[in-house]
Amino acid sequence: MNKGKGPALLEVRDLKKHFLPRKRFLQEQAPPVRAVDGISFTLQAGETLGLVGESGCGKSTAARTLLRLIEPTSGQISFCGKNLTDIPETEMRALRREMQIIFQDPYSSVNPARRIGRILQEPFEIHGFQNKKEKTEKAAQLLERVGLPPEHFNRYPHELSGGQLQRVGIARAIALNPKLVVADEPVSALDVSIQAQIINLLSDLKEQLDISYLFISHDMGVVEYFCDRVAVMYFGKIVELANSEQIYNSPQHPYTTALLNAIPNLESGRIKQEAPIKGDIPDPGNPPQGCAFQSRCPLKEKQCAEEIPALKEIAPGHYAACFLKQ
Amino acid sequence: MFYYSIGNSKTGFIKDQVRLNPFIVKTKMPSRELDIQDLKISFSTPRGKLTAVNGISFHLNQGETLALVGESGCGKTVSALSILRLLPEPPAEILSGKILFSGQNLLSLNAKALQNLRGRSISMIFQDPMTSLNPVLTIGEQMAETLLRHTPMSRPEALQKSADLLGKVEIPSPKEKLKHYPHQLSGGMRQRVMIAMALACSPRVLIADEPTTALDVLIQAQILELLGNLKRETGMSILIITHDLGVVAEIAQRVLIMYAGEIVESGPAQALLDDPRHPYTRGLIASVPKLGALKKTGTRLEEIPGNVPSLDQRPSGCAFHPRCNWAIEKCKTQKPPLREGEGQRQWRCHLEPGSL
Ligand SMILES: Nc1ncnc2c1ncn2[C@@H]1O[C@H](COP(=O)(O)OP(=O)(O)OP(=O)(O)O)[C@@H](O)[C@H]1O
Ligand SMILES: Nc1ncnc2c1ncn2[C@@H]1O[C@H](COP(=O)(O)OP(=O)(O)OP(=O)(O)O)[C@@H](O)[C@H]1O
Ligand SMILES: [Mg+2]
Ligand SMILES: [Mg+2]
Repeated sequence: MNKGKGPALLEVRDLKKHFLPRKRFLQEQAPPVRAVDGISFTLQAGETLGLVGESGCGKSTAARTLLRLIEPTSGQISFCGKNLTDIPETEMRALRREMQIIFQDPYSSVNPARRIGRILQEPFEIHGFQNKKEKTEKAAQLLERVGLPPEHFNRYPHELSGGQLQRVGIARAIALNPKLVVADEPVSALDVSIQAQIINLLSDLKEQLDISYLFISHDMGVVEYFCDRVAVMYFGKIVELANSEQIYNSPQHPYTTALLNAIPNLESGRIKQEAPIKGDIPDPGNPPQGCAFQSRCPLKEKQCAEEIPALKEIAPGHYAACFLKQ
Repeated sequence: MFYYSIGNSKTGFIKDQVRLNPFIVKTKMPSRELDIQDLKISFSTPRGKLTAVNGISFHLNQGETLALVGESGCGKTVSALSILRLLPEPPAEILSGKILFSGQNLLSLNAKALQNLRGRSISMIFQDPMTSLNPVLTIGEQMAETLLRHTPMSRPEALQKSADLLGKVEIPSPKEKLKHYPHQLSGGMRQRVMIAMALACSPRVLIADEPTTALDVLIQAQILELLGNLKRETGMSILIITHDLGVVAEIAQRVLIMYAGEIVESGPAQALLDDPRHPYTRGLIASVPKLGALKKTGTRLEEIPGNVPSLDQRPSGCAFHPRCNWAIEKCKTQKPPLREGEGQRQWRCHLEPGSL
């Protein structure tokens, strides 16, 4: 999976995050929710990796875990050659500056009692900028950079629309020129014209500042446009990983195919070729034996109900976890 | 009997086309579920009283899906919230207008009558699921409470019905999820909980503010199909706010395009998407990344230049003129006229039709 361009910026090995439901009085402990269940991938400097998949398949959990905003259950994360899973908190804090996140939900990621200008100064404060004038200037520049009018400096989050507030989140993430930005559905809340501006902005920043992105999105059009490689997740695992041409032109996993078929199309929205696939989504607390996708898979065979398919390289740089393709 | 219907799958749509009698479609006027006339809403802020919605008029036909599309901050949510009087008043103030629901002006109803209407006759799916779910109550407690408020049933019945509803929106092991708190669900699951709650009392009108933005395309397709089926079964009408033009193409019969507090274009969905008349609509459609088309050629996405005007800096004349490639002198000073085209097309622009 390593393209061989030297050491990867980010390398994730068999990362797991299981949530243990709270035990209820006189009830047996429920089994853990395997939100992220052993994912591995690398991200080269300057690369954009897309992460797509079912709602609830563990994308946000993976993002938070690999930034150590929540503690992983097991697995290794190495960033710039440092193993994040066993470095002291002080060193972690310094590294945090290099790895930022843009959250899915703009409202819950800002302090509602602070003005926008103040929110944008937070990253500078956390990392030791003291000069008040400089901080204010930088915050004002950020505001402009993400296309918000200067008057927003003195407003409170509730006075902004959802889309406006998401831009604040983006501004905050790029404040300290990080190496890695994990963008958890950064444009979902934005209308298409602003979405295009933001994607162009993220592209510019990538060129100018050499930022790498882990880009979580469910907008398959944006992912195809913006990402070099794409990882498709289903039920806590990566089921397909390849460069975006391969994913979009010759998807190998039936889940990827189903996703691509479900994209609403501007021109021919009403003449969709296939109806969306049916079948129950498995319960994370009670995973099925065998392949997690079997309950919805149109190609299911006997083996699929018995064993879990591993992610294997089926063509150069193209990985898929499906028995039918291996 | 309704005069429009939707379907996401090819089969569904064609079936409906056949079932509909084109004669009826043309001659019978569909009845209006909601009729909004000259609605004007302002906010009191430290910078004075600012107009967020500037005299919009539109209607929602019975059994129809109407999409409301527009730039972030243009007033979509504010307009939607005002229908159920859910805006914080103050700072919000409804300056003028009428909101007619079955002929009754909702703006003149008292609090109790409104409370009865909410969730039962008109239901809303909120844009931001995290702030509209109570973080300290389990999903089951919140859903049961909604059901019990409007329908006489026992608590266990309410919980059972809640689980059924969660199943309908494709949430796995719904019984278990009833015991979860909102933060334990993924973003998309929270959004589906909101959808399930809005559908709980089979409303006549559903107002859905970005209902599928946090969902993957597959679940989105399933939810849209579910809404379509419900609509067919119950005759529900839907006002959907979305910025996904693909979704518009897929489920809406008509579209309203909003810019800076005004409706700048409206018309039947497919016709409007194929042949936009307002420069803003055109820009919107152009900025959607087309699958396969832009592939790694180094091209940038097409964007509408400039920024969204904030409430206190809305331009004179046509509010879109500073960002418009076609703007002429009079766009800066004069409000554009309402133009009407064939097949229920309407738009506000100084340019002669066909100049884009
Ligand atoms: N704090 C928690 N406690 C228990 N379960 C959790 C917790 N956080 C997440 N989960 C569960 O982990 C799974 C993955 O959630 P996650 O938020 O990572 O999904 P996602 O892929 O980001 O989905 P979406 O596209 O909807 O945002 C879900 O089943 C969710 O219910
Ligand atoms: N409580 C408030 N006080 C002051 N201004 C407000 C308030 N609520 C909304 N506004 C302003 O009203 C305008 C319209 O906001 P609204 O939330 O309706 O936008 P929207 O079209 O839904 O945008 P989005 O697509 O981002 O959700 C925005 O400029 C917003 O800043
Ligand atoms: Mg998520
Ligand atoms: Mg809104």
